[in-house]
This record gives sequence, C-alpha cells and structure tokens, in this order.
Amino acid sequence: MKAVALTILLAVSGIPILAGVGITLVEAADPAAWSTLLHFPGIGRSVALSVWTGAAGTVLALVLAHLTVALAGTSTWARRVEALALPVIALPHLALGIGLALLLSPSGLLLRALSPWATGLHRPPDWLLVQDPLGLSLVLGLAVKEAPFLILMLVGARAQVPVTRLMLQSRSLGYGRLKAWWVSVAPLLQRQIRLPLAAAIVFGVTNVEMAIPLGPVSPPPFAVVLWQWFTTSRLELRGAAFAGSILLVVVAIGTLAVAMSALRLARRVHSHYAASGRRGRSSTSIARTLAILPGLVLALASGAVAALVCRGLSPMWRFPAVLPEAIDASLIERSAPSLGAALGTTLALGGITVVLAVGLSLWVAESLSRDSLWRRRVGVVLFAPLLLPQMAFLFGFQWLVVRLGIDGTWWAVGWEHALFALPYAWGIVAGARSALDSRLVVTARTLGAGLLRAWWAVVVPLLSRSVLLAGAIAFSVSVALYLPTLFAGAGRVATVATEAASAASSGNLRVAAVHGAAQAIAPLIALGVAMLTGQSLFRNRQGVPR
Amino acid sequence: MQSFRSHWLLLLLSIGACGISDAQAATPSQDAWQEVERNARGTTVYFNAWAGDEAINRYIAWAEREVSRRYGVTLVHVKVADIAEAVTRVLAERAAGRTSQGSIDLLWINGENFSALRRAGLLYGPWADQVPNAQLIDTKGNPTTIVDFTVATEGYELAWGSARFTMFYDSATVGEPPRTPATLLGWIRGHQGRFTYPRPPDFLGTSFIKQLLLVLMPDPSRLASPVGPDFEAVTRPLWDWLDAAHPGMWRRGRLFPASGPAQRELLAVGEVDWALAFNPLEALRAISNHELPATVRATTFAGGALANSHFLAIPFNARSRDGALVVANFLLSPEAQAYKADGAIWGDPTVLNLDALAPADRRRFSPAAGIPILPSEHLLTEPDASWSAALVQAWLGRYGVQ
Amino acid sequence: MTALRLKDVSVSLNGQMMFAPLTLSAEPGVVTSVIGPSGAGKSSLLAHLAGALPEELCAHGEVRLGEQRLDDLPPEERRLGILFQDDLLFPHLSVAGNLAFGMHRRSEGRSDRRRAIAEALESVGLAGFEARDPATLSGGQRSRVALLRVLLSEPRALLLDEPFGRLDTETRADTRRWVFDEVRRRCLPTVLVTHDQDDVTAAAGPVVKLQPGVKA
Repeated sequence: MKAVALTILLAVSGIPILAGVGITLVEAADPAAWSTLLHFPGIGRSVALSVWTGAAGTVLALVLAHLTVALAGTSTWARRVEALALPVIALPHLALGIGLALLLSPSGLLLRALSPWATGLHRPPDWLLVQDPLGLSLVLGLAVKEAPFLILMLVGARAQVPVTRLMLQSRSLGYGRLKAWWVSVAPLLQRQIRLPLAAAIVFGVTNVEMAIPLGPVSPPPFAVVLWQWFTTSRLELRGAAFAGSILLVVVAIGTLAVAMSALRLARRVHSHYAASGRRGRSSTSIARTLAILPGLVLALASGAVAALVCRGLSPMWRFPAVLPEAIDASLIERSAPSLGAALGTTLALGGITVVLAVGLSLWVAESLSRDSLWRRRVGVVLFAPLLLPQMAFLFGFQWLVVRLGIDGTWWAVGWEHALFALPYAWGIVAGARSALDSRLVVTARTLGAGLLRAWWAVVVPLLSRSVLLAGAIAFSVSVALYLPTLFAGAGRVATVATEAASAASSGNLRVAAVHGAAQAIAPLIALGVAMLTGQSLFRNRQGVPR
Repeated sequence: MQSFRSHWLLLLLSIGACGISDAQAATPSQDAWQEVERNARGTTVYFNAWAGDEAINRYIAWAEREVSRRYGVTLVHVKVADIAEAVTRVLAERAAGRTSQGSIDLLWINGENFSALRRAGLLYGPWADQVPNAQLIDTKGNPTTIVDFTVATEGYELAWGSARFTMFYDSATVGEPPRTPATLLGWIRGHQGRFTYPRPPDFLGTSFIKQLLLVLMPDPSRLASPVGPDFEAVTRPLWDWLDAAHPGMWRRGRLFPASGPAQRELLAVGEVDWALAFNPLEALRAISNHELPATVRATTFAGGALANSHFLAIPFNARSRDGALVVANFLLSPEAQAYKADGAIWGDPTVLNLDALAPADRRRFSPAAGIPILPSEHLLTEPDASWSAALVQAWLGRYGVQ
Repeated sequence: MTALRLKDVSVSLNGQMMFAPLTLSAEPGVVTSVIGPSGAGKSSLLAHLAGALPEELCAHGEVRLGEQRLDDLPPEERRLGILFQDDLLFPHLSVAGNLAFGMHRRSEGRSDRRRAIAEALESVGLAGFEARDPATLSGGQRSRVALLRVLLSEPRALLLDEPFGRLDTETRADTRRWVFDEVRRRCLPTVLVTHDQDDVTAAAGPVVKLQPGVKA
C-alpha cells in the first residue's frame, strides 16, 4: 500500500514538473533564442527590477513579521495575531494587487475618502504613485502579502523555542522589551523559518500576479516580460521566453544565495550588537509606537478589499465619489450570469482540489506514518512547484495534458490545482500526523479496531483541525490560481481568477473588481468556516491537538 | 447576380476545381453547404474571442442561443484576455502533435495575430468563400474586408465587423475638440496630465501612432509599401510630435495605460479627458450603461480616420470545422450583423453591402448604422503590415525603457 | 483462559538480534515479568506480541495462544490487551466513549453497554464519570480508565509495557495492586516488561531476563 500511495503521489506531482522542465530545456536549446533574450531592450533593467522588488519586498515583510511577533509577546497574543494573519494569507495575490492599486492610485479609495474636504481636490492629481518606475508600490504590495505568511511561520516556530524563559531571563538582566526579544528570541526563531523564507523570496522575484497591477511598465519586471512573451502572437519571441524561464530560475536562485549569505552576515553583526551590553530600556516605549506598523499591513489589506467592493459596485467610479449615488440594478443583472458561472466553477474546482490534495496527503501520511525518511523526500518533491517559477513549467504541463487528451477538462485543471495545493496540505497534514502518538493507533487496533476503523475513529478525529485548516488553505490556493488554470483549462474553464485577470488585463476594472472581490471573499469564507468548525468540534476535549 | 457569379468563381479557383462552369458548380455547392449544416448539428464550437467588453460578451451569448436554436450547434464563448493566448494554445497543440481534435474551433482575430498564424501554417483554409453569406460582404466599398493590414486574407479569414479609429473626449472639460496633430499638441501642453494613449505594443496604442503618422506625413502613400532604410526619415515627424507631447501627458509620459479599456477606465474615474477606440458607437453604449459621463463625445482627426476590419478564422486542427463554418455563416447573416450594429447592443459597424441586401434585410439595419455619426467619413487604409512591427520596436526603443 | 506461549521469539534490526531468542509460557492468572536494561528490546518484544512492530524491525519465532498461532494475525484479531506507560486515552472521546471503543458489539443493546460501563466505573470508584473529558482526570484516575478500557474489550491475554512508570509513588502502589488483582481474578495470562524491581516483586510471578542478542 505504501508503494501504491507513493507512486500516485509522485505521479501527481513529479510528472508535471519533469514534463514542464523538460520541455523548457528542449525549447531553450536554441542559441538564437538566447541572443534575442539578451539583446531585448531593457532586459537588464527588467532583471534588476525583479531582483530588487522581490528582495526588498521580502526583507520588508521579514522585518515586519519579526516586529509583529515580538510585539505580540505572549502566546495568547501570538494566537490572535495568527488569526488576523490567516485571512490576508488567504487573499489571492491578484485580488490583493488590483485592490491595492484601486486603493492607492491618485483616483483610489484613499484619496477619495479624503477629498475634497481635506485635500481640496475635485479631480485626481497627476501623481505617479502606483506602478512607479522604481517599483516601490510593488515592494509595498509584496510586503503586505508576504508579512502575514512569515508571521504565521514565526508563530509556528515559537513552539520550538523556549520564548517565555528567554524573555524572562533577558528582561531580568535589564533589557527593554523589544531589545530583549531582538537579542534572545529572534535569532532562534529566524533559524526555524529558512525554507518558508526561501519560498517567499522566489515568489517575490518570479511572480506576475502582483507585478501586473502594481509593478512598473517601462520596463516591467522580468517575470512579466516573460508572461508577455508567452502570450504574444509574435512567435519569434517564444524561444526567448523559454530561454528566459531558465534565466529566471537562475536569477531566483542567485537572489536566494545572496539573501542567505546576507542573513549570515546579519547574524554576525547581530551577535556583536547583542554583546554590546546596551540594555535598550527605551525599546519598551518604542515598541508601543511601532505597534502601528502591523496595524498598517492589516489596514492596507482590508482597504484593498474595500476598494474592490466599491469599484465593483459603481459602473463609473467618478472621482471623488466613494460609492455610487444609487446602485444600478442593470449592473448586477449584467454581472450576475458570468459571475455566477465563474463562481460555481471556482467552488467546484476548489472542492476537487481540497479532496485531491487533502485526501492524498492523509492517505500518504498514513502509509508513511512509520517512515520518516520517505516523508522528508515526499516533502521536497511536493515543494518543488513553489520553488520553481510557474513560467518554467506551465507550458510543459500544457503539452502534457494535450498529449493525454485531457486539456480543457476539469481533470486537467484539478490536477494542476492539486499540484499547487499539495505542498501546503501535505505540510499541515503530514506534520500533524507525525506529531500524533502512534501508540494511540496501536491501542485502537489491540482494542479490536481494524485498520480502517482505527484510522477513521482515531486518526481522522485527532487530525480534524489540521485537516480543516489544510482544506481551507488548499481551497484558497485553488481560488487564487490564474496562470495554471489558464494553461491547463485551454481557456475553457472560467474561474473568478481567470475572469478577474482577463478583465484586469483588458482594463475593465469594474468587472475585474467584481471577480476580484469574489476571489478575495471566497477563501475568507472557507477559512472562517474551517476555523469555526475546528473550534466547535471537540470543544470540551482539551487533549485534542489544536 | 454579378457578385454572386464572381463569388463562386473565386471559390472554384481557390479550391483548384477549374474547368467546371458556374451553373454546374452552384448546385453541388448548395448541396455541399446543406451537408455542412447537417454535419454541424450536434457539434460544439469553441469560439475563442476577446472578452474585455461586457457588451460584446452579451452579443456572443445571444449568438450562442441563436445557433443552438437554429442549427443545433452548441457555441461556447471561450473568453480570452488577449487572442494571443489562443495562438499559444494552437502552438502547444502542434508541439504535442495534435493535428486534429484541437481545442479551438473559431477565432476572433485580425492584424498581426492573423499574419503570425498564417505564416506559421496554423490556419485552416481557404474557407471564407464557402460560406454562403460571405457573398453579401461589401468587398468593393470596404477593401479592408479582404486585405487585413495590407495582408490579403486569401480566404483564410472571414470579415466580421469593421472599425475606424475614434477618439472620445469629455466635452464638459475639453469643449470643442482639437482635430489636427498641431492643435492636439497645443491642448495637451495646456492641460497637464489629461491626455494619454495605451502603451504599444497594445493594439490601440499602436493604432494611435499609426494614425498620427498618417496625418502628420505630407504624403502617406509611402506607407503602403514595406519599411525600408528610410524609416528614420519617414517617421521623424511622429517622434518629434511624441517628444513634444509626452511631458504634457498623463504621468508626464512615464506611464501609459495597458490597453484601450484601461484608458477608458481612466476617463471614467476622471484621471484623463480622452480615450481611444476602434468603434465609434462604443462611447454611446458606455454612456447608456452609465459607464462614461453623458458629456463624452466622439471625434476623429480631420485628416481622416484609420480603418480596418476584424475577422473570423479557423485553426488548422479545429475539431468542429463544419460547426465553425455554420457559426461563421450565421454571424455574417443580415440579422446577426444588424443586431451587432445596433448601438444599444454592441454598435459594431457591419461589413455587409447594404445596397445589395433584400429590402426586408436592409430594413433590419437601423438608420444610424448607415449614417455617419462622425464629422469625418474620410477613411485611411492601414499601412503595410511591416510598419506596425517597426513602429512598435522604435517606440519601445525610445520610450520603453525610462 | 489458555497460556500465551513464546517459542524462540526475537526481534532484529538490520540483521542484528536485539535479544537472544526467548521461550516462555505465560500461564493464566500469573504475571510473567520480562526484565532487562533499557534498549534491550523489551518494548519491541511487546510490540511484536501485539502485532504492531515498526516496519524496519523483523520478528522471528512463534507466538501462540493455546493452540492458535498469533504471529500472522492483524492486531485486532489477536485480542490481546496492551497497557503502555502513558494511559493513551483517546483525547477526542469522553470517558464512556473510551470504554465503549473496545467493547464487542455482540447482542447486548445500547442500554446493556451503558450499564456495563457504569458498573465498571463504579467498581473503580469513578461512578458518574461517563461524560468527563479524559484530560480533566488525575493520573491515577486515567490509568484506571485505561485498564477498564482494556478489560471491557475482553482480551485473552494482557501485555503491560511499564504501565506504572509515570505514576507518583503513592498512586503507583495502589494502581499496581489493583491491576494485578484484576489479572488474577480474570485468570488472564499476563506479560509485564519493566526495569522497576518493585514491579517484579509485586508481580510475584516468574521472571525472565532478556539476554543480549547475536548476529542473526
């Protein structure tokens, strides 16, 4: 059974990656493609932009995350912060990106809320705020999106670090609150989150979902250039696009290497600083002032969702109106059919993804429950889609499903969605399964329960909270996927993500906002349902793992 | 009758069945079409079409219902953000060796997408003349229906609608619109940040610089032949104009909207006073849908409006070729064309020759469809296709990296 | 009840025997103690008897209950009760739910089962504890519930894996006495592995010492 489970899991995840990478390597083997790539105007700037925005966004997110976790201090507060971070994590990148653009641009929600009473503006000012040439708005967007993810990882890492004792010790030595955290706890937490940090950097360098609405255009970040080449009718650029995918992988790995050595350097500097002996007593009051920063991240994310809703409700969002004077019924009538169909497809695909990703993870985790070596190997393979730029293997996946004759079917799209949801589902489910005392299963069996009953009556209930969380996350991943849905679905599987993206890229922001809002809200509901169900299940059983 | 006979003659030539007289050819071909309709019944046609405009999506949804009712063909609108996505898909299918049973049956296409697919041998054809309603197309009055950006269509695509380059402006702020490059430049300099155009290689943005070049050149006839070494000299006036205008534009010419609809969004929220389109009735419809202020008006350059057509094409590996033919024929019917030309529905001008229609069919078209609503009816034909690519390349070289 | 018989039983890891082949007969109503230093393979031996040997370990020899060969049966068909050092109550079930888990679903109806549980709880001084969350019980109470759970599943033999190690000194003596009394009363063949000399003394049965193994 173990062999069967492993084969299926690795086939689901490994074959598409191999096919994708293989096709990319074959297509990029043409020297002319590399020449086109390297001589394209502005390509150096594009690459530099990708590195800069990805690295700066992640560093900013990392600092914010450490600060938030430090300010949260106690584990009760950490759990509250975690509960606030989860909804932002569940927000799809594209929806957040469009929403931030609608919030922060000169005609955006923020300036509308202040106009004309505070600013005196009756027309939007001609300020280059969003899509600025330096990519600052993209850096901000990435930080808002990645900080909650890193916060979640840091809160998780607290379990491995004796936070309370370390803090007590440092503060009794006279260190201020923030300084105490910074010298004693932060370095230990940092060591725990290296892999998630690497994934965040790779995402920052290679994403298109946030770079399209927020990134510069003259030239755009490198990943956006590649996306344009992959979807252009200028066929002479296709070879260059494949060559570019390889370059993107190299750039991402390079950024990663530099970032990791920078972290090592920072650790050395940090230890000098920690040994300086200055107590930083004022840091306790500084901490109170800085508490505004995590609040700002949350405010930006909620403002983005609000902007999506406002824009979606107004046929013509005339500055400085925040909402339309009257909501036009024909507007809803016009949006409803396409939104309804897309939402139906999205929910169904989300359901398929949850069943595939969580079901497979549960099954394989069960059959590997006594084999930690293979558990680690499986984790590495499943993680690959997150560490490889999507661009590098999506075309190959498309080739594969066309070869199998399943392109444009829900099978193909569900498969691809499962591919991207599996690393998260596996991480949560396998982690919880290996933390489960295997003697509980032995006890159940010796009490007369068969394999199936022991699993169903003991393992599943004890994992139920993790399973619910994994399901909510898998669902969020599925709802957020744009490029994979487009490629595997042959354009025929229309989800709120593809509708939002096609409306956004053709400039129809109202329709984009309607679908973006649906895309943002669906995972929030799933997450809410999962958390509430998880809390109400076994409410009177303190011993059930949280 | 003359056009009917020449039409079938063309068909015969194109399929290489020379030597058969007109009279003999007509009957089997009618039979052939009936057979096409029979084969099409029960098939599903995947129509890949740009879906950035809700009005167009609703029109296609109407067509879906009609072809299902009349011909038993299930038409499915595959919504794409850019038709190049569909081009990518056809390529992926050929790479995977799928020479039949492709995922796309019908494409909405023109310009460089057509020439790219045609050059790569990815289109089925020639087929346009096999479609009975094709004979109603006004190929004489509107040559853009058979020459797509100076590339002869040769029956590999079928004209579906026609277009002319139009500019929208908010009359509340602009007043009387400037209609020459010189007066437009003056307006831009006097109204900081209120004018822009989509960033080439966007279709509309590219059209804007072509339109500008056509009206800036003393003698635009040079553009009818391919780009030569005189490119710099020929295009000099265009770059001078843009260099002068960009600092007065939206975001000082450092940022451009991604597409025509993106710019319309800027007009709708009030960031700019202008938008560009290829459809003179688009503004009218947007106003009636409360998507643009009621003060928005349309205009063209006094020197003439760039005109072209958009087309339907069938990929080489389409699964439901007969179904696609039936759908294309329906979309060219006077009824479907009249519905499409209705300003309240889509407002896309027809490609049919109204004078040649039966009186009953002609009456379907509202008077507005045939009456010029723009100050200028002077139409300018597209430059040779090579100019598009060269202009985009030069634009990107000058303004693409800042 | 019939005896639990081991013949030349051993467990090996990568071809290395953890202890020398063991032959013993655990008689009904008698607690047979197996002793040896930590790491000698005591727990692995019990895991093998229960049918839950980790995959990387390999078992040798024969295990019989009376005439029935047990080695190739899945754990649920061996019907051997096992008690670990931790009580391992299922945290998601109530006390009654834990007790009912191992009860056979033969003819008795729901009310009979409920009555049996109530009686069992009463017999150990836990009357009315049915609906309690196991996490709210004291250590001694939890071990009593754990043993009740095993006994209610009507095992044919009992395996004890240092079951008193986690209890404080006072509770330990009481619990131990009570467990051993139950074993004798029900005439269960019982194997106890331990390194606590007090356990061995209290068991007052045969003692077997695990000898270091050799290359298989």
